[in-house]
Amino acid sequence: MRKHKGVSYAKWGYIFILPFFVVYILFTLVPQLTTFYNAFFENYRSGLKQIGPNFVGLDNFVKLFTPDKSGNIGMLKYFGNTVILWVLGAVPQIVIALLLAVFFTSYRLNIKGQRFFKTVIYMPNLIMASAFSMLFFTLFSPVGPVNQVLLSSGLTEKAIDFLGIRISVRLLISLMNFLMWFGNTTILLMAGIQGIDQCMFEAAEIDGASSLQTFFRVTLPLLAPILVYTVITAMIGGLQMFDVPQVLTNGKGTPDRTSFTMVMYLNNYLGTSKNYGMAGAISVVLFIVSASLSLVVYRMLSKPYKN
Amino acid sequence: MKKILSLVLAVMLVFGIASAALAEEETAKVLKIYAWNDEFKGFFEKYYTVPEGFTVEWIITPSDNGGYQDKLDTDLLNGEQVDMFLAEADYIQKYADSDYTQDITAMGVTDFSNAYEYTVKAASDANGVVKGVSFQCCPSALIYRRSIAKEVLGTDDPAEVQAALDSWEKFEAVADEAKAKGYYMTASFAETYRVFSNNCTSAWVDEENNLQFDAQIEAWIAQTEKFIANEETLTAGIWDQEKNDQMFADGKTMCFFGPAWYFNFCMGNAQDPEKGCSGDWAICQGPAAHFWGGTWLMAPTGTQYADVVADIMNTFINNEEVCTALVAKEAQFSNNKAVNEKFAADPEYGSAFLGGQNDVAVFAGMTDGIKWENHTIYDQLLNEGLQTYMMEYFKGAVDKDTALANFYKHVNEKYPDIVTP
Repeated sequence: MRKHKGVSYAKWGYIFILPFFVVYILFTLVPQLTTFYNAFFENYRSGLKQIGPNFVGLDNFVKLFTPDKSGNIGMLKYFGNTVILWVLGAVPQIVIALLLAVFFTSYRLNIKGQRFFKTVIYMPNLIMASAFSMLFFTLFSPVGPVNQVLLSSGLTEKAIDFLGIRISVRLLISLMNFLMWFGNTTILLMAGIQGIDQCMFEAAEIDGASSLQTFFRVTLPLLAPILVYTVITAMIGGLQMFDVPQVLTNGKGTPDRTSFTMVMYLNNYLGTSKNYGMAGAISVVLFIVSASLSLVVYRMLSKPYKN
Repeated sequence: MKKILSLVLAVMLVFGIASAALAEEETAKVLKIYAWNDEFKGFFEKYYTVPEGFTVEWIITPSDNGGYQDKLDTDLLNGEQVDMFLAEADYIQKYADSDYTQDITAMGVTDFSNAYEYTVKAASDANGVVKGVSFQCCPSALIYRRSIAKEVLGTDDPAEVQAALDSWEKFEAVADEAKAKGYYMTASFAETYRVFSNNCTSAWVDEENNLQFDAQIEAWIAQTEKFIANEETLTAGIWDQEKNDQMFADGKTMCFFGPAWYFNFCMGNAQDPEKGCSGDWAICQGPAAHFWGGTWLMAPTGTQYADVVADIMNTFINNEEVCTALVAKEAQFSNNKAVNEKFAADPEYGSAFLGGQNDVAVFAGMTDGIKWENHTIYDQLLNEGLQTYMMEYFKGAVDKDTALANFYKHVNEKYPDIVTP
């Protein structure tokens, strides 16, 4: 019998990935579990008095889904708002990012000054969302430059209250999110396309495929994993939409709370009353929704290309 | 050898840092003051000499959406060092009526003979123990444009204008006249809010914590509905640029409401050397006596430097020199009756901004009408919230019931213990 005495390098692998898991457990898993725990307690502040924590079971969730006098369930309305705001921003974002990524990586087009364009389209992402929203708030205020231009050119007779009209507030929020994120998505997708073996494109060309055919038959299927990743991260980010509408509408989701997102709702409970019970319950709902939607998207987008 | 040397060096370094930190703590005592803007900080730095060996650290958190209260509450509850903090009329009761503030008479602030009664009452708890002082008294006046008043009323004399505007019926009648001549009566839908809300005969919540609407609040809603329908007011918010733009010389608005602090704090546009109209303004009491805002200095229980805090408080209410400077140089209406009366009686004194009118005399005549009653710990967010959600109704985005329902939702989220209709 011969004893094999080899060196195990595997343990170094584990040691190298250890920091990530430590950070993940400390800063993500533990807070997540405490949030779940908090959701079952009545725990808030009234003035300088602390109420609770008292165990109340599912009361917070029941309260969350209890209709008000006019029969609306706040939570569903804010979920709807969030989805609308996300779709309005994300669909153009992904379509345009995909288009730009194809243009930039096409060896046929061979666009000059790529670096410059990549930097420029990434720029808006470097601005803080709050600063960006403040800028739009000022631009579109009743006495802001946009209204001044409209008034002096005679296009309108009265200043338009952009921030008081449902459709314009929603469009502004989506536009801002689009501007901030399409550069980021473009760069991700470009990396994905560059990861595809160049001979695939050459082979397609030799076989006489048109650009459209190449795109739909070659690029898209091979890009699927990255695309799924992009859509899922964009979706999770979208469900957690907060900064832009919060600053643009001063935390009120004007008008009639139609641009009030789920995280703004959560934040409203956290400010002033420090209501960890209700905020925890909203977080749990948000978590379940994001997890199940991610699963659905993952299944839908990755299945057709699996053999 | 090398190892020992480096160990010795490291130990020396650690001791060096520690001793330096200790030494610093001995020489500089830090006084921590919490505030929501730097208005008081400015006065403090100009008129108060910090005792030898002290430095002041300002912790400033803007009060939007209750942010200042959140920060202050958290630090008070966690037992952080807070040596003095500022509070506004809308939430002072929360602190005065708590165990987190202390009796200032025990600290050495005992002379309130020159302070206005409501300012002392506001900073007292339910048993009458005084927990803080205000450095200003804030009777709020009707501030009008002289040139517009001349056109609408035929006079800009404060006494005659007051006679024409001393009740809400007259105020609304004048609004119609102003409209006929192409002017707005007010520039914000919430301009008259404080005039009504200060005269409420009931608090925002009753003993069982049920939210209730006072008749005065209903009256404000009714008046604003009328003003909006007749286009006698703009739909801007109380702090909006759209409203402030009306203070330029080419503004079309006749009336604003505000106390002495309003001139410097909010009327910068009116004082603009090019586009402004300094001197074209005057004040009178208007339809009802009221006050607006005011900054109180409160003494938290946690302070180690009670004597310094007491000295600051005494300086800003009883030091004649400082109070005089506040009136003469800062356009404040001080919380010292003797000083204010001196200015009120001085025929030489007049505000250039108000076309030479003696504003101190007008404010001094209004202080008796100010009441301090029917306040709750919730006032700031309820007053702000009502204005925000009613604005959507006034602008026509939603109907009245929806606006109220949204206001109730806001209340439920901010204050789970208030019962809404």
